[in-house]
Amino acid sequence: MRRAVALAGLVAALTGAPSGPAAAAVVAFSAEEKHAIARHGPWPPPWKRDAGNRHSGRAAAIAFGRTLFFDARLSRDGTHACASCHRPELAWADGQARSTGRALLDRNAPSIANSRFERWFGRDGGADSLWSHALRPLTDAREMAMTPALLAGRVREHADLLRAYRRVFGAPGDDDEALMVNLGKAIAAFQETIVTARTPFDAFRDALLRGDRAAMARYPEAAQRGLKLFVGRGNCSVCHFGPTFSNGEFADVGIPYFVAPGRVDPGRHAGIRHVVDSPFNLLGKYNDDRTRANATPTRHLLLEHRHWGEFKVPGLRNVGRTAPYMHAGSLTTLEQVVRHYSELNEDRLHADGERILRPLRLDTGEAADLVAFLESLSAPPARGARP
Amino acid sequence: MKAVAPALAGLLLCACAQAADLPIFDAHVHYSHDAWEVVPPKEAIGLLRKAGVRRALVSSSDDDGNQKLYAEAPDLILPSLRPYRTRADVSTWVRDDNITRYMEDRLRRHRYVAVGEFHLYGADADLPVPRRMVEMARQHNLVLHAHSDVDAVERLFRQWPQARILWAHSGFDAPARVREMLRKHRNLWCDLAFRNDHGAGGKVHPEWKQLFLEFPDRFMVGTDTYTPERWPYIVEHARWSREWMKDLPAEVAERVAFRNGDALFGPHPMKKP
Repeated sequence: MRRAVALAGLVAALTGAPSGPAAAAVVAFSAEEKHAIARHGPWPPPWKRDAGNRHSGRAAAIAFGRTLFFDARLSRDGTHACASCHRPELAWADGQARSTGRALLDRNAPSIANSRFERWFGRDGGADSLWSHALRPLTDAREMAMTPALLAGRVREHADLLRAYRRVFGAPGDDDEALMVNLGKAIAAFQETIVTARTPFDAFRDALLRGDRAAMARYPEAAQRGLKLFVGRGNCSVCHFGPTFSNGEFADVGIPYFVAPGRVDPGRHAGIRHVVDSPFNLLGKYNDDRTRANATPTRHLLLEHRHWGEFKVPGLRNVGRTAPYMHAGSLTTLEQVVRHYSELNEDRLHADGERILRPLRLDTGEAADLVAFLESLSAPPARGARP
Repeated sequence: MKAVAPALAGLLLCACAQAADLPIFDAHVHYSHDAWEVVPPKEAIGLLRKAGVRRALVSSSDDDGNQKLYAEAPDLILPSLRPYRTRADVSTWVRDDNITRYMEDRLRRHRYVAVGEFHLYGADADLPVPRRMVEMARQHNLVLHAHSDVDAVERLFRQWPQARILWAHSGFDAPARVREMLRKHRNLWCDLAFRNDHGAGGKVHPEWKQLFLEFPDRFMVGTDTYTPERWPYIVEHARWSREWMKDLPAEVAERVAFRNGDALFGPHPMKKP
């Protein structure tokens, strides 16, 4: 790796390209590596409204959703809001290994930043739209423990909520379930606005594509070496793909998934069942996309053995600010995450099929480089702050 | 096998049994070292019984897991000897002479109905360690539970033409290839572990249905508990299996669910002759 840097410096000297300390700090990337790096941008992606949510992108809905997101009246006992586990100051996660609602939950609260770019929502992908995903914590007995009737009651009882609701949706009718779905759609409209800012990586990626070596050299050399590992020998970008650094799919990466003695978290297996059984999935009446084109993935869902214990490949933007890691927060630092993949226990993976996951066997320097790259994916606090 | 058939008559359920109630012969269970603490033997047996598993072909790395389970439920557990002391042996056992000594020692001390599940591909089947394993299986009249490609299965049959081979995962091969192998080898059985293509969505795929109808006596189901967390999945897997087996004629479903396992291993395979 360091030889590659030296070679780049030599090439620069021979070709008359800018030299000196800045130019010497640019790692050489092959055409194939450049192609892989290019696919992690541009950032941010262009805005596209959610066809399944007619309130997506509407200012009034976004404002109401922001209010709801921080409002503990949406929980049964008035103690929890969405923001209790998705705190803006903690990059929209909560910093806990496993979150606590009315009870200790099974999973680590993921950051909700950039969730508008996902296809399946939640660590198990148990929802096929952002708005239906918002209904899960609202109605989960261990989280906010509400029912459609309770939620509708809260809106009707509180003048400020009722006023805001009317402004977005008109007068609430008698259908409590429809009212609850509208709340989910408003919350989703707000969540769609939470997009992480550009990062040092984005600046490097864009500079690399336009051949701006001076700008490239501002990106730490260790991060460049880590990036080379990420898209090369590490194979990380196979799953952590695209601008969000996630292919949106699910995987078993060898992390144990017992929640307690005798009880496992089935992950994607339970998630698929939840989507299929949910009256709020995109095949149902609340999908605002009359073409149902957005329901195609849901229509083709099939439960398979491999789904047992699979969890969603998380996006990596802001990963340096969302510790702890993995579906139940079992790894506390990025160093531990990198070590996990470096020393991967293959015993825990099925012996057949495509073997993407192999122990990376990184030396100390390489592991530090990969961490440096991951840290370069963090941005200043995201837009969409507390009202 | 023919001699065993009359003895099985007592095991047969009435043909009108519904798929939803089918007992299961689970032909692909592992109970390896990392499972023993988190799913203790009593709990493991409880899960098998909860799933409606009547008998299970079990192997473990190392073999102590097998013995723990067998001691807990000798009516339920059919021990199979893996050539692995730890699962890490999966990729090295074929060239490791210590495996031979390990297997010889275990065979001296315990009784088994099979060797495997072992992973063996292509020409590796003719290496000395796998050859010695086949000799031991022949000496003790044990079924070979092979996670193998077609080439390795052919080589095993060449080494021991009378071998009874249970082809793990049906080789992860296509139905047409599985058919070819079943037509060619009368002593070849297939487990369906960790594959979904035959019963996805609760329906039997037409190609597989033809295969099950042509060879109703050669298939069996299996969960493949390759990590401890897969033990609770035994219950879910049995439910899933019963679901797609509803799409088969009742008699065929019964055979795949449990009769074929009973027929291959006999009613009392662990009794001393």
